[in-house]
Amino acid sequence: MLGQLILSGISQGAIYALVALGMTVLYRTTAVLNFGYGDTFMLGAFVFYVFLKIAGMPFALAALMTIAVMIIVGLLIERLLIRPIAARPHLLIAMMTIAISYMFRGATRMIWGRDVQPMPALFDFPPIFIGDMVLTSQNVVIMVAAALLVILFFSFFNYSSLGKLMQAASHSPRGAALIGVNVPLFSACMWALSVAIAAIAGILVAPVTLLYPDMGAATLLKAFAAMTLGGFGNLGGAVLGGVVLGISEQLCGGYISTSFMDIFPYLVILVVLLVYPAGMLGRAEITRV
Amino acid sequence: MSDMSKKNAGGRIGLVVTLLVLLLLFAAPKFANGYVVYILAMMCINAMMATGFNFVIGFLGQLVFANTAFFGIGAYTYGIVLVHTGLPFPVAFLAACLAGGIAGLIVGLPALRLTGFQLAIVTLAFNELMRWVYLHSGAVGGGASGMEMPDAQFLGIELIGDRSKYIFILAVTVIALWMVRNIARSTVGRAIVSVGASELAAASLTIPPVRYKIAAFGLSGFFTAIGGAMFALLLGRVSPESFSLGQLLLGFAMVMVGGMGTVVGPVLGAILLTAAPEFLRNIAGAEEILYSFLLIGLLLFMPSGLFGGLCALFPSLRERHLGATP
Repeated sequence: MLGQLILSGISQGAIYALVALGMTVLYRTTAVLNFGYGDTFMLGAFVFYVFLKIAGMPFALAALMTIAVMIIVGLLIERLLIRPIAARPHLLIAMMTIAISYMFRGATRMIWGRDVQPMPALFDFPPIFIGDMVLTSQNVVIMVAAALLVILFFSFFNYSSLGKLMQAASHSPRGAALIGVNVPLFSACMWALSVAIAAIAGILVAPVTLLYPDMGAATLLKAFAAMTLGGFGNLGGAVLGGVVLGISEQLCGGYISTSFMDIFPYLVILVVLLVYPAGMLGRAEITRV
Repeated sequence: MSDMSKKNAGGRIGLVVTLLVLLLLFAAPKFANGYVVYILAMMCINAMMATGFNFVIGFLGQLVFANTAFFGIGAYTYGIVLVHTGLPFPVAFLAACLAGGIAGLIVGLPALRLTGFQLAIVTLAFNELMRWVYLHSGAVGGGASGMEMPDAQFLGIELIGDRSKYIFILAVTVIALWMVRNIARSTVGRAIVSVGASELAAASLTIPPVRYKIAAFGLSGFFTAIGGAMFALLLGRVSPESFSLGQLLLGFAMVMVGGMGTVVGPVLGAILLTAAPEFLRNIAGAEEILYSFLLIGLLLFMPSGLFGGLCALFPSLRERHLGATP
């Protein structure tokens, strides 16, 4: 029972971790908290559905096409909606992301209405048995893909020169601009990267859940919980927070009560922010006047 | 001298126009059909919700998302007092407003430590927690299916049909908005705006930021809960799905579209965004697309909202209690 709960918790947490990671990347590098990220994730899942089910493409091609389309969407958003107001207060940019979330949700609702779209499981390998624990093939795919992405991502940011440049530019956009870094281009890249991560999370989650236009809201709040738990704005913290949230949510559902599980992420947010706002890996912010 | 008299003349015209509009609104049930009266009542309710929201998001300038919770607390307190205690309607209504105000004060406490996005997230979480509480309220609040309200009676008049309810709702809204206008012009209102502009500057001018932050939250909760109680009165029942994330974003869009940080702006936004979806009822998703285009257009071209845009065209409209629009 315990092992099974932990396993499914990790698989669930991997999705939270990916979504939290995508949000943190954008937040860290451009100081934009994307309130439309849950709906970006939802849109990714729906675009994948279109390529896979309606266009009938094979899995790999559909996934690549989804990522490509979503990157274009991300670049368009950055260029047309965010860059014109980039110099304004962060509050206005946060509001713009809410406007974008309305647009995504309205567009999918207009096409698919209030119906729920089921997706068949993509990989029907037999489930893996470890002792008395069962691991479905979809869970394995989610865990492996998430782990690979996270490793790829961290090695890019910490070891490649481009990644280091990006970190520098996010610390001081002005300083980076002075030494000739193209900061708007960098910001566009970060939007593209962030949206691509949302698209991948959408692709991974589409086969295990039902698709509906309001699926983004709950994921957004869970990603917030993961970010808060791990330390707001900390990349490693987002991943760790996501996995810990997933596991503890499952344990809560298994041992306490399933109705309690629904509010578990919100309790995590409240407790962490009220008791220890820095989170697991975060450092307390010091404001200089 | 001539400037002075011009200003007075402008004020008098404004007063006459306001009185005429009010007369028309109070007379509406005599000539408008039931559907229009219902929409007018919804406009009043949403105007109160947006006005309450505006206290924290506009005047205090903090991204706070607890307003659906205040709205729900108002509606549920009204219902619970009316159903379970048998106290008369005015007591239930006042209890609802006060409960909202107290909830506002409580939510204001974490706001003393947290700012920016962390505050936004913690209040968002509070909203969802309250919705869970409604869902699991069992016999007290009716749980997932909600609760039915008994008929209300005010000053010997039965508030049964939409028309009598509308008159009561309109009267409460007018009084509440008049209060908000006076608060905004008072020391408290100006102090809240100054704390929102710069906490340190306000503190250096001996304005205690803690006190006025808490005051802004309490006022926000109070006025939002008025909207919530009127909502429960109009519908005759409350259920948890009325207080979802969608409701929150709607209130948010109203404040933004109308113009935050002003008294008239949120009311304007509420009128527009209550009326517009009525024309789009039959197309799924059209409402959301409309909101998104309105918000995007305003953020790009008129960041101070519709009322801000109007003020730029007609400077005499500008509200005197606030210096600049955001």
